[in-house]
Amino acid sequence: MKKIVYYLKIMGVFAKYSLMSALEYRINFITGITVEMGWMLIKLLYVAIIYKAGTNIGILTPDHILLFVGIYLVLTGVYMLYSGNFSALPGMVQHGELDLYIVKPLSLQFLITMRRLDFAYLLPDLAAGIIMIVTGWRLAELPVGFLPIAGFLFYLLCGALLTYSLFLLPYLLSFWTVSVGGIADISNALWDFNNMPSLIYGKWFRRIGTYILPIFVITNFPGLFLMGELSPFACFWGAAAPLLFFALSRALWKFALKRYSSASS
Amino acid sequence: MITVEHLTKEFTYYRKATGLRGSLHNIFHRESLTKEAVRDISFSVEEGEMIGFLGPNGAGKTTTLKMLSGILYPTSGSVSVNGFTPWDRSAEFKRQISIVMGQKNQLWWDLPASDSFYLNKCIFGISDSDYRDIVTELAELLDVKELMNVQVRRLSLGERMKMEILAALIHRPKILFLDEPTIGLDLLSQQKIREFLKIYNEQQKTTVIITSHYMADIEALCSRTVIINQGCLVYDGPLKEINQLLGRRKLLSVKTAAPLNAKVWETFGTVREINAAEVILEVAQENVKDAVSAILSNLEIEDFTVTEIPIEESISRFYQKEVLVP
Repeated sequence: MKKIVYYLKIMGVFAKYSLMSALEYRINFITGITVEMGWMLIKLLYVAIIYKAGTNIGILTPDHILLFVGIYLVLTGVYMLYSGNFSALPGMVQHGELDLYIVKPLSLQFLITMRRLDFAYLLPDLAAGIIMIVTGWRLAELPVGFLPIAGFLFYLLCGALLTYSLFLLPYLLSFWTVSVGGIADISNALWDFNNMPSLIYGKWFRRIGTYILPIFVITNFPGLFLMGELSPFACFWGAAAPLLFFALSRALWKFALKRYSSASS
Repeated sequence: MITVEHLTKEFTYYRKATGLRGSLHNIFHRESLTKEAVRDISFSVEEGEMIGFLGPNGAGKTTTLKMLSGILYPTSGSVSVNGFTPWDRSAEFKRQISIVMGQKNQLWWDLPASDSFYLNKCIFGISDSDYRDIVTELAELLDVKELMNVQVRRLSLGERMKMEILAALIHRPKILFLDEPTIGLDLLSQQKIREFLKIYNEQQKTTVIITSHYMADIEALCSRTVIINQGCLVYDGPLKEINQLLGRRKLLSVKTAAPLNAKVWETFGTVREINAAEVILEVAQENVKDAVSAILSNLEIEDFTVTEIPIEESISRFYQKEVLVP
């Protein structure tokens, strides 16, 4: 518990300093928000088209789809909050910039992957996502109460942890290959499969995306849980996959760090 | 406090032929090569001691320092720093050490340095009152009180280095590693940092290992010097004794109003370089005074400087003499 408070406090300082640093460059900050809003509007167009067509996709009505896209937006915002640290990792490895972080007495993985937070991306995605979730939830007449809300938030948190763990993995390859641009681009492209609910994809594709490379678990499970569409095994997997992949990212991080060779000064 | 035994570090790299053809060949076949950056080094450091690592570029000084601070794993050998093996990277070990690198920074670029100090306070779990006392005391010693609220990007290189040192000392480390802390600084800033380090070492009894290209850093601060060349420890002892072993010599750079024959210069010392009216002479230290007064009274001088023989050259001479480690 003491450790959690310690890390939350440091995270609070990172958040404050990141915001203070971002506000030093006002135009860039405002441009970031504007670009993210533009991207968000494109995503909203998909929902608008579905509403206009008025057709269901399997068991999903347009209201359900609104909810699913809302979850996707919220988790995209959360990922964008810290993803700049992931893309900075190969450069840090190449230029030996981990040196002064390694000697700090706290988790290096936490320090490197959370030290810069980008609020320009988080704020619009979070605001629009929450509105869409609440609207979709109400229009689809999904259950409201302690258990549905707690379960929904639980799988949302699991999704956030799984995003972190799953998308960090390709960047860790930089300890071996230094440059990981190509692999990172593919993994980021995979994220867009969550643009729409996984039910629009074929059965086998869905299974691979749920149990082998579990990107569908991230944004689909909170909504499917609300709809009562998660089997007991899926309920278990939704909680186990984030832990499993987080453990994998931890193990690979520690292993990769032994390869760190710094850079000549 | 620090014991190093048979420490060796090898790096693997690939041979890269020049040009596009070499790059294309590299895709299919890479020849792996090994470089021994540090070779079988052994030494020990007592508590409160301040020792200097000297050596030319690529000698292995920084690599050794990085292994002592736990940044790098060695290929073989053992190190004990206050009872810890550095590369185990235990939190307790990290609380006892600190490292400052002249070419790397830990301060938040867009924020005042005081914000980075506060982050370190949180990371090291320092109480509010201790934190206030330490920052006030160090800011006074380093003469940066007025700069605490200036963004790091607006500070000069010398001011920034002082802030880096302050940030590294917030948790009162028992051992301080300094890698080229005065690199690129003007003479006044170098001197200020040296003065600070001397006072700090005396007051806090902190064990300090400093690497530097500048002989002046080591001369001013360290009673003991370790010279590393091509990864090997070639000397471990007082700096003054090196000078005696080498026979201390100085360089006189002189510019005259009109070009002079080399034979004229040879009467004052060994001619190292001559270019029209400019000449560099090598003179034994005990003869410098006589040579200078003879030159000034006999020749028409436009410019005149006396410098040390570059450290790389001294070390390389020292190394070529194959003097055994005392």
